[in-house]
Amino acid sequence: MSATSIRTPGVTGAGPARRRPRRIGTIALYVALAALALIYVYPFVVQVATSFKTDADAAADPLSLLANPFTTAAYRRLFLSSDYPLWFANSVVVTLLVTAGRVFVNSLAGYALARIRFRGRGLVFAGVVAVMAVPGVVLLIPKFLVLKELGIYNTYAALVLPLVADAAGVFIMKNYFESIPASVEEAARIDGAGTFRLWWSIVLPMAVPALVTITILAFQGSWNELSHFIVASQDPSLVTLTKGVAQLTSGQLGSGTQYPLKLGAAALMTIPVAVLFFIFQRRIMDTSTGAVKG
Amino acid sequence: MRIAAFGASAGRRRRSVERRPLAGWAFVSPVVVLLGVFLVVPVAMALWVSFSDWNGRGSPLSSGVGFVGWKNYSDLLLGGGLATQNLGTALRNNVYYVMFVVPLQTGLSLFLAVLVNRRILRGRGFFRTAFYFPSVTSSVAITVLWLFLFSASGVVNAVLGWFGVTGPNWFSEPSGLVHLVLGALGVEQAPAVLAGHGLLGISWWQWLSGPSVAMTAFILMAVFTTSGTFMLLFLAALQQISGEIEEAALVDGASSWQRFRLVTVPMLRPTVLTVITLGTIGCWQVFDQIYTGTQGGPAKTTLTPAYLSYESAFGNQQWGRGAATAFLLFAIIVLLAGLQRFVLRERGVPRRRRFVAVGPAATTPRTPEVVPR
Amino acid sequence: MNTTRRRTRGTMAAVLVAGAALALAACGGSSSSTSPSASSAAGLKILIGSSGDTETTAVKDAVQAWSTTSGVAAQVVVASDLSQELSQGFASGQPADVFYTGADSFAGYAKNGSLLAYGDKLSTKDDFYPSLVEQFSYDGQFYCAPKDFSTLALVINTDDWAAAGLTEADIPTTWDQLAAVAAKLTTDGRTGLVFGGEYARLGAFMAQAGGGLISADGSKATADAAANVTALDYVKTQLTAGSFAYASTVGAGWGGEAFGKNLAAMTIEGNWITGGLSADYPDVKYTVVELPAGPAGKGTLQFTNCWGIAADSAQQDSAISLVEYLTSTDQQLAFSKAFGVMPSVESAAAGYKQQFPALSAFVDSATFAQNVVNVPGASDVISDFNSQLEGLATGDPAAILGSVQTNLKDVIDNQ
Repeated sequence: MSATSIRTPGVTGAGPARRRPRRIGTIALYVALAALALIYVYPFVVQVATSFKTDADAAADPLSLLANPFTTAAYRRLFLSSDYPLWFANSVVVTLLVTAGRVFVNSLAGYALARIRFRGRGLVFAGVVAVMAVPGVVLLIPKFLVLKELGIYNTYAALVLPLVADAAGVFIMKNYFESIPASVEEAARIDGAGTFRLWWSIVLPMAVPALVTITILAFQGSWNELSHFIVASQDPSLVTLTKGVAQLTSGQLGSGTQYPLKLGAAALMTIPVAVLFFIFQRRIMDTSTGAVKG
Repeated sequence: MRIAAFGASAGRRRRSVERRPLAGWAFVSPVVVLLGVFLVVPVAMALWVSFSDWNGRGSPLSSGVGFVGWKNYSDLLLGGGLATQNLGTALRNNVYYVMFVVPLQTGLSLFLAVLVNRRILRGRGFFRTAFYFPSVTSSVAITVLWLFLFSASGVVNAVLGWFGVTGPNWFSEPSGLVHLVLGALGVEQAPAVLAGHGLLGISWWQWLSGPSVAMTAFILMAVFTTSGTFMLLFLAALQQISGEIEEAALVDGASSWQRFRLVTVPMLRPTVLTVITLGTIGCWQVFDQIYTGTQGGPAKTTLTPAYLSYESAFGNQQWGRGAATAFLLFAIIVLLAGLQRFVLRERGVPRRRRFVAVGPAATTPRTPEVVPR
Repeated sequence: MNTTRRRTRGTMAAVLVAGAALALAACGGSSSSTSPSASSAAGLKILIGSSGDTETTAVKDAVQAWSTTSGVAAQVVVASDLSQELSQGFASGQPADVFYTGADSFAGYAKNGSLLAYGDKLSTKDDFYPSLVEQFSYDGQFYCAPKDFSTLALVINTDDWAAAGLTEADIPTTWDQLAAVAAKLTTDGRTGLVFGGEYARLGAFMAQAGGGLISADGSKATADAAANVTALDYVKTQLTAGSFAYASTVGAGWGGEAFGKNLAAMTIEGNWITGGLSADYPDVKYTVVELPAGPAGKGTLQFTNCWGIAADSAQQDSAISLVEYLTSTDQQLAFSKAFGVMPSVESAAAGYKQQFPALSAFVDSATFAQNVVNVPGASDVISDFNSQLEGLATGDPAAILGSVQTNLKDVIDNQ
């Protein structure tokens, strides 16, 4: 920071000749940024606007931000004559369970791998790293086979439990616990606190930043998950938002294009992750400490 | 006092080396069980299925299911029939997808990072948020939006209309970009040498089609949704090295472009490697948007190995073939990631200057936030 | 000593909490899983692939009526991707009890033992059209009751027709006439004839040329026959000329949508189009005529679904009784009225014609209709054929049919 404040006057003071190109450069920069931002933001704005249009209007004037006529038919149809509310509720339940589950088991395991000596620790850690390398999409058929063999196919457990299995979170927690000094818990141990109490009341409160990180990742990951839900259940009462909207979109004979309906469904399902994003925006975007650092 | 405390702590530390196997295993057991049951066992089971003739009824472990050796793999790779053609088509589509998405997303995210990295920039927070926002949305939601934007009477074609261009019906247009260019140059039919020979059941002429117009829309979508995430990775890297740049610039008075090219870019090398590797891994897994948007059409030009694997098993009940496709895809991803590490390995960058991107992105290929959609 | 015990207790607590977390998640599953599994234990689950709300409502009402009289609970579920959900159901061992089964995928399910061969147990089995029974027979066994059927016919927008100065005398009966009226009906923003770019529509042209994908007895692949090339050449010429177009090309999901939105003046569809049109585009006026004859005379395709019953169903007797109810003459006529399907039993033919005199073209076409391919494993070949047909306008018909021949022959030889 100090380097800039010293340097900036030096450069601008180098002579009026350099001032003009600099200003033009700055204007060009802002124009470029504004154009790019428009490209990135406009689709979402037009999405919300279109969800209030009629089918005909959406096709006739796709660029317009003003619905003419304005109608809430898409949303009425979603909430009154479709399973959308059910999908939403399922997504909420699954996401909360997955997030809570991941935070709990990952922080337990991360702590053990960082701090507790036990036979087989190296092996467990190596296993976690190896599992992290398996691309998720390869697991579509395998997951279905196992859920079926376990007899939990088509249940909430099938939706939730496989998503709780997350090697990356263990890795993040382990790294974080290794970065905080051991002295505090050592002191606590002198008091005779048991391992679990030590972890719960001393260690976890110190690990809040890492816990926030895996909470964000788990929430966003499970809310946006699709492929797992496709293979884990087929009962209509277990459909989550991503699966419901994907199947609504891939559509069927006679349902037509119905863009306002589909765009409204997609816009609503984006709200929870968007809220999460804006709450933790500074933490996610804070690149000086590393993006979503663990 | 402080020294004494330190000494005590060191002494205790040594004593705490005492093993606590029960606590250790109790703490890791939930994760071990979950990963074992939902990752290791499934992979083992699918591996068995890929060598079996299981037809999707009953348990694959039951006695009626036979071991067929490499048959599923050889049907896919050597059979020359429909299975081979489908795999060849899917691989071709995905190769083009990777070839276009990875350089574009890497270049664009670096460009965005450099733009918003300026210290004196009004609305810096707004711009970063705007560029990053697509990355938090789900691939399903973004695909729905894309289907609308790129529909026959959609936003993109309306914009093209301003310039007098009649846009295509993007998601129904199977012509490949290379074929279109060749067609414009008057080459309508395949030269015999290209049409007559091929690989994996499809001719060289088909291999050289380029991504279809429909696939191009998906390519643009992937670039749109991932550039924000990778921008953050580049931003973090840029901030770590900017101090050193200021120093160097003050010393030799280099222009900003020279500074960028000669100092910044070489130092960004590890981050570029990370972005390219993550991008490639993500691009080979493209599934959600195909499932939501096109189901492989038009004319199979958006079929990908991931979707093909799913479709073989769940659609056509060829479970062995589907599982074998998944393992071939697995092999491709592992090979390419390894190859990239090797080709782009660092040469002669001083160790202390290495910037290893922090955060889960650097370490977790499966972090959903980072996987390009 | 004391610390050790405490530590052990703490460890036990960790295990308990971890176990509780798993149990909690699992418990969330088991408590809620009672609803789906309870419904499949207590009643029948019927999985349908619906053409729209009208069909869904009609089937639900019929099943409800059966439920009331029989006292067996039943739940109708609309699949968004029928074949995928059926596959998952069969593989998971918890399939729906009764479900729509398409003619193209029927044989695959019959072959791997997923379907119950109950056809001969039906008291009404002799009433079904013989060609439909043949479609749903595998290895000499009649597996499942044809739900209904339809042929393809030419649907014409009468306003467009009149506006183009055409009269009843101009209704095409040959390929040349069809091409001529299609060209005449093509305007800016409207194509003369629009249909889906798939075997299930273009196959009608192949039938009119005297071709077909397999021989009549199903033992030989005949995809590369000259008649089929003639048919595709004809369609290709018209596509290139712009007087024919595929539905996807004009931005519609299927022919009926293109027709309803007047992106097309004519379309080739089955009688399900009538239900769709009256629901979504009630103002469109149309007439239905037989498809024009090709070089080899009249020809069309016929489509049918059957009511499959799962071999794994725990309630096969109830399921069969439901199917008997749903395929009874009166109930089939009720379905006809609701969403336009044609009854699969001969005893309902007269009633249907009386109900829909304007749609007699669909029934009349039954005399020269071809069944679609139902060899096990052929659905894969057909979907490949379909994807190649999407590129027909710029493709080589002979090459396309040649590859289909190879693939189809593989499938038939490997039976």
